[in-house]
Amino acid sequence: MATTATPLPKGQRPNIPSALVRFPAVKDYEQVDREIAGTLGPSLGWFAALGIAILCLLIGATTWTYQIHEGLGAAGYQPPVMWGVYIITFVFWVGIGHAGTLISAILYLFRAGFRTSIYRLSEAMTVFAVMTAGLFPILHLGRPWKFFYLIPYPNWRLLWPNPKSPLVWDVFAILTYLTISSTFLYIGLIPDIAILRDREKNPIRKAILSQLALGWRNSDREWRHFTRAYLFLAAFATPLVLSVHSVVSFDFAMALTPGWHATIFPPYFVAGAIFSGIGMVFTIAIPLRKAFKLEHYITLNDLDAAAKLCLFTSCVVGLAYLTEFQVAWMSGNKFEQDYFWNRVFGQWAWAAWIMLICNMVLPMSLWSQKLRRNPKWLFILSLFINLGMWFERFVIVVPSLSHEFEPWQWGSYRPTWVDYGILLGSFGWFFMWFLLFIKQLPVMAMSEIKEVVPARMRHSHDPSMHVAEGIIHPDETGAAH
Amino acid sequence: MQGVLGAFHEIDSAVHAVEDLKKQKFGDITVYTPTPRHEFEHALGHGPSKVRIFTLIFGLAGVTFGYWIPIWMSDYWPLVVGGKPIASWVPFTILGFEVMVLIGGLATVFAMFGFAGIPRLTMTVGYDARFSGGHFGIWVVTDPDRVEDAMNILKKHGAEEVRRER
Repeated sequence: MATTATPLPKGQRPNIPSALVRFPAVKDYEQVDREIAGTLGPSLGWFAALGIAILCLLIGATTWTYQIHEGLGAAGYQPPVMWGVYIITFVFWVGIGHAGTLISAILYLFRAGFRTSIYRLSEAMTVFAVMTAGLFPILHLGRPWKFFYLIPYPNWRLLWPNPKSPLVWDVFAILTYLTISSTFLYIGLIPDIAILRDREKNPIRKAILSQLALGWRNSDREWRHFTRAYLFLAAFATPLVLSVHSVVSFDFAMALTPGWHATIFPPYFVAGAIFSGIGMVFTIAIPLRKAFKLEHYITLNDLDAAAKLCLFTSCVVGLAYLTEFQVAWMSGNKFEQDYFWNRVFGQWAWAAWIMLICNMVLPMSLWSQKLRRNPKWLFILSLFINLGMWFERFVIVVPSLSHEFEPWQWGSYRPTWVDYGILLGSFGWFFMWFLLFIKQLPVMAMSEIKEVVPARMRHSHDPSMHVAEGIIHPDETGAAH
Repeated sequence: MQGVLGAFHEIDSAVHAVEDLKKQKFGDITVYTPTPRHEFEHALGHGPSKVRIFTLIFGLAGVTFGYWIPIWMSDYWPLVVGGKPIASWVPFTILGFEVMVLIGGLATVFAMFGFAGIPRLTMTVGYDARFSGGHFGIWVVTDPDRVEDAMNILKKHGAEEVRRER
């Protein structure tokens, strides 16, 4: 939700692009409501997708039941590799959860226009991804019914958990992130729920929407406080995005294990998280804009801008990969050097090269504007990015644990069908929530899109006046879509 | 409470009506707009929201509490871990920061609820479902003897519909 903006001095360009540039095919407020609220009716394709997601979830749940019965050994854990697919997938989903708040909070503070149409689905993606990630520390427990041991509280001798431990930091960081992200999503939804409430004819649905809208009436008083609160929440959420994955990286960096004990880890993890999150945004947004016929809201310009962000974060991630090698080389530390050699040319070369090709090489195609504006290519690339980012976490977790200091400690790791079943189940869980969300609540922020669409005027003025005043560049008036 | 409600389809008409009502000293004016518009902010002339005060106070309280938790936990049963001081402020900054964001963020939302007057159990008078769609609304609370004046101003500026409500 954009802050109420003050008119700019004559001749100064607006920081929020006008509808002429952003949504040339959207004419008025009624069209926004009609088209976006129109996406809420369930379809056959949606039922099919939901059915597949629930099936995957059931496979995961069944597999977990088997694991509880058999013990964690069923998931392929054996010394020295006691972290595997579950921690990899935990970091993967936390990473996915970063793009949502990046797009909704950081890009909001930077007034990046392209966020308007994709931020709602990114925020929803964030909440569901963090909910999915939160399952993995529990799945990784031999006795999951003791999950409440994760919460910092004292034992019967009143000994509290060690607050210098990264695992305690994790609990604080992830719970704060989940709470603030969910709040941010819900607060942004309130005006849109009010729109649905006012359009709804079914009395039961109307009553539910009325409760959820909290009696929102679009009054100037409500908007005035709402826009301020939204701004401050965005300002809080921005460093939170950076802190959460930094804290996740401390789970590794605080250990002395070769390949983990590096000060580069926090920025490296944050950049990787944003990169993977944008990959998932493409995976979700591109089919959605097609299925919901919303190509004139998520325009090629929006995809182009998001692709530039993807390219930038790919470059940062690539730089971090290369810096790791340089640090190992210049450290003079034999264990560190051997570990990195083993990673790229030894036992785990196949995984490292999947990572490098998917995350460093393929995204370089985005230097081409033609490919940045090609939704099919962006979708295919996003699948490679998702794969590459999962393997990045594999390369971080497994090679380090399997190749520590003493050669007699070295070992291997092979995920079992239990790991794959639970991995599949996590995708089922995530997509089940996401699919339920997109048919109950608007997938785009209707009231924020209306901010960009020009309001109806009695005395309409010629848009070319803006060109004359220097508010819009002549090139921008027509070349939007 | 009684007053006059006007529905406008055009923003400039609604803004001019608000300016005129202010000029005629109608005090209690509420504008309904499907999306925040700076034109109304200027016409109504309200000051900035006080939500920020709560954000600041509870953010500071949160960071204090966030540092206090681990310091108290460590001091309650002192164990030297990794040769670090019992109250190690560097690692505790993480908890301080997270609790600041949590408490400051939630306080911001509750302050917004308080100032905006939500949750509201009933829609009360002076609202129309069109105002979340494409229309702008003006609700003027006024004495019975000035109702006609208010209605005339709204009509003069092109209101699609003007009605009395109580």
